[in-house]
Amino acid sequence: MAHYEEMAVHGYDDFCQAVSERKGKDIFVYFSGNKDAQGKSWCPDCVTAEPVVRGQMTHLPEGSVFIYCQVGERAYWKDSNNDFKKALKLSGVPTLLRYGTPQKLVEEECFKSELVRMMFTED
Amino acid sequence: MAALCRGRHRWKRTSSLHVLTRTLTGNYDYDLVVIGGGSGGLACSKEAAQLGQKVAVLDYVEPSVQGTKWGLGGTCVNVGCIPKKLMHQAALLGTAVKDAKKYGWQISGPICHDWATMAEAIQNHVRSLNWGHRVQLQDKKVKYLNIKGSLVDEHTVKGLTKAGKEMTLTAKDIVIATGGRPNYPTNIPGAMEHGITSDDIFWLKKSPGKTLVVGASYVALECAGFLTGIGLDTTVMVRSIALRGFDQQMAGLVTDYMDAYGTKFAWKCVPKSVEKLSSGALQVTWTDTHTGDEHKDTYDSVLWAVGRAPETKALGLDKLGVELKKETGKIILGSDESTSVPNIYAFGDIGEGRPELTPTAIKAGKLLARRLTGHSTELMNYDNVPTTVFTPLEYACVGLSEEEAEKRHGKDGIEVYHAFYKPLEFIVAERDASQCYLKVVCERGGQQKILGLHFTGPNAGEVTQGFALGFQCGATYSHLLQTVGIHPTCAEEVIKVNITKRSGLDATVTGC
Repeated sequence: MAHYEEMAVHGYDDFCQAVSERKGKDIFVYFSGNKDAQGKSWCPDCVTAEPVVRGQMTHLPEGSVFIYCQVGERAYWKDSNNDFKKALKLSGVPTLLRYGTPQKLVEEECFKSELVRMMFTED
Repeated sequence: MAALCRGRHRWKRTSSLHVLTRTLTGNYDYDLVVIGGGSGGLACSKEAAQLGQKVAVLDYVEPSVQGTKWGLGGTCVNVGCIPKKLMHQAALLGTAVKDAKKYGWQISGPICHDWATMAEAIQNHVRSLNWGHRVQLQDKKVKYLNIKGSLVDEHTVKGLTKAGKEMTLTAKDIVIATGGRPNYPTNIPGAMEHGITSDDIFWLKKSPGKTLVVGASYVALECAGFLTGIGLDTTVMVRSIALRGFDQQMAGLVTDYMDAYGTKFAWKCVPKSVEKLSSGALQVTWTDTHTGDEHKDTYDSVLWAVGRAPETKALGLDKLGVELKKETGKIILGSDESTSVPNIYAFGDIGEGRPELTPTAIKAGKLLARRLTGHSTELMNYDNVPTTVFTPLEYACVGLSEEEAEKRHGKDGIEVYHAFYKPLEFIVAERDASQCYLKVVCERGGQQKILGLHFTGPNAGEVTQGFALGFQCGATYSHLLQTVGIHPTCAEEVIKVNITKRSGLDATVTGC
């Protein structure tokens, strides 16, 4: 059994709900563009980064939470007023962040397994 | 002198042994270990790594007396330049809002400032910088160790992790860039238990309230400046003079402005003791050295800004024979940042005679890395370093103070062009511009080479950066005459300056 909780959410409201239900926990969030019926995201960088991030998940701290958040379709994401950009100041997808801290990896940074591992293992 | 020769000689030796030396590094854990992850240490370690070296950087923050700690990045990022400038900006914005009414903005009622909002925003930014540095180090393949490092011998560093575990690393070269920490006065009862320093002020969660700032360095004045600006009752207690080492005429303008701006000054006063009252307030007793009288007053906070001490005590330097300057405790360095021990280098705030500035530490660190890897012989040029004091009225300068220029060239050997000017924006806002001033200290003869440039006014740092380039290129007064000003700006007044102190004429600039 994994030493962390993993869950998947779709969209901003779903994301906020998941976070509010887990107050006080160490929450890591991976934001990705929506996947289509074949399971492929419209965001090519997200496609590249996902296996890298998943490959490091064994390093997640004990008792932490990993949220896989699909932000929406490309058109929604491109709108600079979307909730994620406004409320969470996300600048791009994929973004991997540690909720409530300034720790985040954006776009190509998510391709680097050492950076992902560093985020999961540092305090 | 000897150190300079040794430095050059060592490089000559290294260049011929360069190939051999490369293969020898297989004996050490690292090519380079840098102790100190501040402006200098990070720049040096990243540059060395980029040039192919195996590098480790050790950074550890001993909590302040009051228990404040921070992350990677050193003084500048955590308890210096960055939070300072942001709090300075917070204060300036308060003044701007007041000015705004004169420009037509309808602002109902008096405005007030919330410390917690400002502190959280600034602290979050600093934390994002700590993270940014972590990512950079990882990306550039520099090994980062959050351990307190000390020297065992000229190739071995030992470190203590937070958990108390000991580890050792060996390195071909060791660089010390541990910087400094604020001093506490040693002979004032209650100073340590009840006072804070610049290590603490930027990390306070609650407003410091009515504050006594002891000291008259730029740290003291900048802190007192922004505290006043955000609406706090602030007093600066000065033992003798303000901004020692800086041009004293300019220092006077800075403090005159602060005085008019609302900061209280207790000149020629020395604190005697600090007591905590049952109310929680701090009662400070001090002596007015002018009259000999003793005074008392209560404050919510006492901020000690009485100098900074180099972080050398815990390094084990004496064991290795690394020479320190007795008076300051700083490491004696050759012009190539070498110490008295081969393979051990030091630079930044820890170096004797070095400016305590981030840009010089960064540059010196990069050049050191290039020299150590055999990519360059260039030494750091510590001359012509521009700097700015971010007091409510900012003061920027490059080159010599008027006093220093006089000392070197004689009063008759220099010509000082000066002007009192009025920023256009101040006029509509009905702001007092009496201390907005500039002077260009030049050689009297020949092309009149510029020896020093001094400017007080808004955005002094921005104004002066470009002039520092001119200074570096050996600008003369005749160059100034050939340059056209940008209008309307405050900076153009530097270009237009034409009244000399010698003439005795009124130096007030009239509008165009």
